Amino acid sequence: MSYYDVDAILTDGEKVPCTFELEVPYLGHLNNAPSQVLKPGTPLTLPLWLAELLALASSGDSSPPLTLNIPPCLGTAVLSALKADPRAVPLRDQSVHLYGVGVRMLDLFDEKELSEVLRRTWTVRAGDVGLHARKADEGGLGGQQEEFLRGLEEWERKLFRRAHEGVKGAKEWTERVKK
Amino acid sequence: MASPLPPGLAPSEIAFLCEMELITIVPRQKLESIDLLSGTTPTLRPPRRENVPLWLALLLKKQRRANIVPPPWLHPDSLQDIIHFETKINPEGWAPPPPPSARADGRGNAQRTNRPGTTPLSAPFLSSCTSDAPTGAIPYHWFELAEMLLAHAADDVTSSAEVRGLLRDLQEVRSAKLRAIPAQLEAGIDGVMSLRGVGAMELAESRGLISGVIEGVRKIGASAELSRREEEEQRGDADMDNEASDDDGMGF
Repeated sequence: MSYYDVDAILTDGEKVPCTFELEVPYLGHLNNAPSQVLKPGTPLTLPLWLAELLALASSGDSSPPLTLNIPPCLGTAVLSALKADPRAVPLRDQSVHLYGVGVRMLDLFDEKELSEVLRRTWTVRAGDVGLHARKADEGGLGGQQEEFLRGLEEWERKLFRRAHEGVKGAKEWTERVKK
Repeated sequence: MASPLPPGLAPSEIAFLCEMELITIVPRQKLESIDLLSGTTPTLRPPRRENVPLWLALLLKKQRRANIVPPPWLHPDSLQDIIHFETKINPEGWAPPPPPSARADGRGNAQRTNRPGTTPLSAPFLSSCTSDAPTGAIPYHWFELAEMLLAHAADDVTSSAEVRGLLRDLQEVRSAKLRAIPAQLEAGIDGVMSLRGVGAMELAESRGLISGVIEGVRKIGASAELSRREEEEQRGDADMDNEASDDDGMGF
């Protein structure tokens, strides 16, 4: 992951749900109540970079000041939908950086099932992305194609672009050689 | 600073390499042999067939100084055989590349040209596109070569319209197989995917997709892989400790 990778930076900014375990003064504005202290047990959504930092920070034997939860875009409802048919879920509606967040969650949690589902989703959808990338210039697949391409998440868009570039290059060469 | 070019060869570079392939021509005019960096070309005396690099063959063809003899695998029957193999006999795999070239010796036995002890030949020094290439197997540069021949020497290709249609079919069948590779990873990377027999241009076309998919699978599996390795390492350490204590026991 490069320092200048815009997608990595944007993934860092994705909000995740978490709960504070301590009472923190002067942080009430995180809960839209600037005049009060932040009470323990307050549910909050914080950007991933801050939540990760706080969830892993622990001084000595005390527990970390924050517990991190799996974000709703990777929750049970989405996972079971993905298990049923990965193609039918518009991933972009769940999260623009679904795989990026998923990989970060896998670093933090030991979720075998999540990793399985993510890998299956990625490979199954990648096959379709390849097909659409090939047929994109021919415009043959119609409205269904538009629907699917709109639902592509950031990693998948990048893949689509790479696949399309290869197909386009070969096609351009074939056109040029005829002249 | 990383190179701005994508990894792998661009289609135009592949076509350039393909122009080194030898191809058979029937010259219509005399031409003395030319000294080139890649070697000397044979002296052309009509109507003797000679093998020349594709770029020279195309040049002579454009100047109407020669006719090109299309390689036998470009015949409609041969292409039909390959399509039959790809769709019916082995719908998952690829048609195998042409067998290693062989030459008959004086006693009527066929011997491999690439014998141990001699310098092994590979493309473009193998005559995979000349008139004595085998039928029913497409070489590494099949796509580019066929496109170039159909574009510039269509009148020399046997029933070129049919060949063009068959090539389209073959291309579609094979690109669908290349696209199916990501789905094979669904169950996990348990084997090495075979790309034996895949042509240069097909690889250039699908390189972005396949490498991108594998990169994604790697990223998703990275943390699982890390924990698996740590576990293995710990187990290895435990085994080592056991062995060490065994050794101690035997010492006394």
